[in-house]
Amino acid sequence: MRNDRIELPQGTLDLLILKTLALEPQHGWAISERVQQISQDVLRVQQGSLYPALHRLERRGWIKARWGTSDNNRRAKYYELTASGRKQLEAEESAWRKLAAAVAQVLETA
Amino acid sequence: MFSDLMIRLRSLFRRASVEREMNDELRFHVERQTEKLAASGMTREKAARRARIELGGLEQVKEECREARGVSLLESLLQDVRYALRMLRKNPGFTAVSVLTLALGIGANAAIFSLMDAVLLSRLPVKHPEELVLITSWDAKARVNSSFSYPMYQNLRDRNSVFAGVIARGGGQFNLNYRGVSERVRGELVSGNYYEVLGVRPWVGQLFTQQDDITPSGHPIVVLSYGFWQRRFGGDPGVVGQTILLNEHPMTVIGVSPPEFYGTGLDAPQDVRVPLMMTPVFKPVPENRMQSRRHQWLDLMARRKPGVSLAEAQTSLEVLYHQIREGEEQQLPANTSAFDRQQFLANRIRLESGAQGRLSLQREMSQPLLLLFAVTGIVLLILCANLANLSLARTAARGQEVAVRLALGAGRGRLVRQWLTESVVLSLLGALASVLVAIWGKAALLSFVPAEFRVSLVSPLGWRVFAFLLVVAIATGVLLGLAPALRAARSSSADTLRSDSRMSATGSGVLSVRGGLTLMQVALSLPLLVGAGLFLQSLRNLEGMDAGFQKENILLASMNPALNGYPQERIHTLYVDLLAQLRAQPGVRSASLSTNSPISGGWDQLSVVVEGYQPRQGEEMSPNWAAVSPGYFKTLGIPMLAGRDFTDQDTAGAPKAAIINETMAHYFFKDANPIGRKIGLDNVPDTEIVGLVKDSKYSNLREDGVRHMYMPTMQQERLYDLTLAVRTSGDPRAAVDLVRATTSRVDPHLPLYGVTTLEAQIDVSLTAERMIAWLSILFGMLATLLSAIGLYGVVAFSAERRTREIGIRIALGALPGDVLDLVLRQMGYIVAVGLTLGAAAALVVSRVVGSMLYGVRPMEPAVYLLAGFVLAASAALAAYLPARRATRVDPVVALRHE
Repeated sequence: MRNDRIELPQGTLDLLILKTLALEPQHGWAISERVQQISQDVLRVQQGSLYPALHRLERRGWIKARWGTSDNNRRAKYYELTASGRKQLEAEESAWRKLAAAVAQVLETA
Repeated sequence: MFSDLMIRLRSLFRRASVEREMNDELRFHVERQTEKLAASGMTREKAARRARIELGGLEQVKEECREARGVSLLESLLQDVRYALRMLRKNPGFTAVSVLTLALGIGANAAIFSLMDAVLLSRLPVKHPEELVLITSWDAKARVNSSFSYPMYQNLRDRNSVFAGVIARGGGQFNLNYRGVSERVRGELVSGNYYEVLGVRPWVGQLFTQQDDITPSGHPIVVLSYGFWQRRFGGDPGVVGQTILLNEHPMTVIGVSPPEFYGTGLDAPQDVRVPLMMTPVFKPVPENRMQSRRHQWLDLMARRKPGVSLAEAQTSLEVLYHQIREGEEQQLPANTSAFDRQQFLANRIRLESGAQGRLSLQREMSQPLLLLFAVTGIVLLILCANLANLSLARTAARGQEVAVRLALGAGRGRLVRQWLTESVVLSLLGALASVLVAIWGKAALLSFVPAEFRVSLVSPLGWRVFAFLLVVAIATGVLLGLAPALRAARSSSADTLRSDSRMSATGSGVLSVRGGLTLMQVALSLPLLVGAGLFLQSLRNLEGMDAGFQKENILLASMNPALNGYPQERIHTLYVDLLAQLRAQPGVRSASLSTNSPISGGWDQLSVVVEGYQPRQGEEMSPNWAAVSPGYFKTLGIPMLAGRDFTDQDTAGAPKAAIINETMAHYFFKDANPIGRKIGLDNVPDTEIVGLVKDSKYSNLREDGVRHMYMPTMQQERLYDLTLAVRTSGDPRAAVDLVRATTSRVDPHLPLYGVTTLEAQIDVSLTAERMIAWLSILFGMLATLLSAIGLYGVVAFSAERRTREIGIRIALGALPGDVLDLVLRQMGYIVAVGLTLGAAAALVVSRVVGSMLYGVRPMEPAVYLLAGFVLAASAALAAYLPARRATRVDPVVALRHE
């Protein structure tokens, strides 16, 4: 395993899940794969914390679940974004960008 | 949010399918991950193992998912309760002891609370009690006067704009004669609108209406209370329409009031009620009672109109009251001084909530009840500490279980919750059992309450008591579970699993928590013991005091021949006859009559003038007054200091005579001889002081320095009820039949009432003191016992844990004294610190209860020392037993112990 992977900061897992699901409905394993893939294996999603997060988001009404068939023909639980989830994603995205920009600025100038 | 609710509900009700889906989802994940890893070249088994590890504990993830879905709270609560019940069943000994102690502790609290509920919180059992107001007045010196004249009642009733109705009641004295059997009953005169305004419906027959209260002396009807109807008429509805004799006047029974209705005050349940217009018949003196504004004798209550607040009613009535007073002031006698007129007008009306009726009983009992409530609360705390100690010992024993559960992925919060659930379940079981204790305890408490009040307090436990039980049970559960729960949650799983709990370092931590609990117990017990000592000493002072008369061997009985229609001139002959016959009886050493008897509550006070004494403006010139027959002082054993007793020659025609007590003599004449000086009741000093007697106690045992004067019964124009005092040579109770027989020889229809001994009468006056003293001793001893048990547990536990260490020390040559020192030193600190803190708390207690004590200093060092000694001695005994066992440890056995 590569050592330069970083743990996710508190609270960012929800954002990543929502962003991943914005493209298309996915099941849990695929979500964790996708996050690692896109981040070029820098971000490591603790698989154990992924599922509680999914259930939490479902309870908040930002995503909803349905059972479907996976690409290798097995029953899998797919999650998709709801309308309020999409709004939430936008809000969190812009908040994150602001935070990141601000932190970057501080790091550059200070 | 909707999705939130749906998911929670689904989690709860479709638990099986939700669980299945969760399993499927996670299994799918593990399979995909395994495939992925296998594809990268791992063996199948290794890949599967790796996938599981990457996911983290499967059960832990599931638990977190459940929590995320919000199932857990309710569901895991049920789980916890089931588990708790299982654990409790597995330890029947622990469970039984805990439930039993909790039942006692909570039950004692509930018993006191139920009495508080009945006395302090209960509302009048009438329609919308919250609309009722009590009408009283303040005089210029801010003294409350709760009585009004009839014309004032009429004015207030007819001229106010804020009340839906104003009712009046006045006390009366009634002899009831039905089919030749006569007895003294409690009764009152009430205005015609009484039942209507209160909203009381008849139980049988009908109640008074306005129409029954119009013509003076013209409404010979009576309403019975339910209790009296049951007692005297066996609950026979046929009594309605029958005629009974009240004070020899035929009266028709028109109905019975309902069982729950006791009147307008807890202290005075009545037997009969008659219309106020019957006043001239039942209270014939003074004749102008219904017209005079000077005779204030009615208690008033009113019902506010809907929407009128108490403050609005107060404002409106103040104006009206002042107008009426101004009118009354015009009618004052012309020679009234300007000062007195000003005082008269300074009188103000005052309204207070009447939801609880008249509050005399409440005022009398609130302090003792609150005190006992605090005491039982503290005992419950001490008891909680004991049980917490016991559970802590169990926690240590269950260390392995905790460790395993932590290792299996149980959250610490979840563990704390589990532990708290166990203790709350335990205390709820205790509360359930405590209902019995509460019922029994309330009955025991009521036996301290004088019988005449008991009627209105004997009610089943109300909803407030059950609410109280629930709250106390949960609070107790949390309290006694908190220490063990936190303890359990803090222990590290790895440590406990690795080492045997017996040797683990956590032991000292447990000890310090337990030591703290024990310290708290000692600190709480001391103020209870100090309080108990103070109250006991105070009670002994009151019981053993020299009251100025000899209370032994005196029988008291009261009668009122006027109620049986005796004209005044015959009353005197009757009394002379009765006394002569009684004095001739064997076993009777002396007999006398008086208008009042010692420690019976209140005495009359009459305004006097004293020859040669100029009172200051507004000076209190009303000493106690009583009319007594010759032989009164001899009978009661009150020493005559100077002059003479009244004799049979002090009759209506003879010069008026008076006897005064020392305090009165000193007040008016300083050190001069009072014999031969003159005083008078009607502004004329026409009465010669013929005797001087020693001070004694009159209304109650606590009073001091009361001015008192006596006048001969034979010189009174009118006599009403008199109390007979008979001094016997043997047990006065044996003379009851003799006195009854003698009385009925004189007149068979003359009922005696209030038959008791002087000692019993004094006993009754100390009811509250005795209740507080004995209960505080009971609870103080209980607290001491509980603390001793707690201490014993801690020492035994610590000695047990250190068996090996002690064994080594003994093997190395330690003497029994060294071992004792080792085991007891910590206890010594705990007790010493506990006693110090307790002494500080006791000082607060002394301060609070100081006003309730008699003849004992609130900070009496002897009481403090004794309480401290009792506590320290029981602590020493409790600690010594297990410590001595420790000195007998056999080093060989101890070292093999592990």
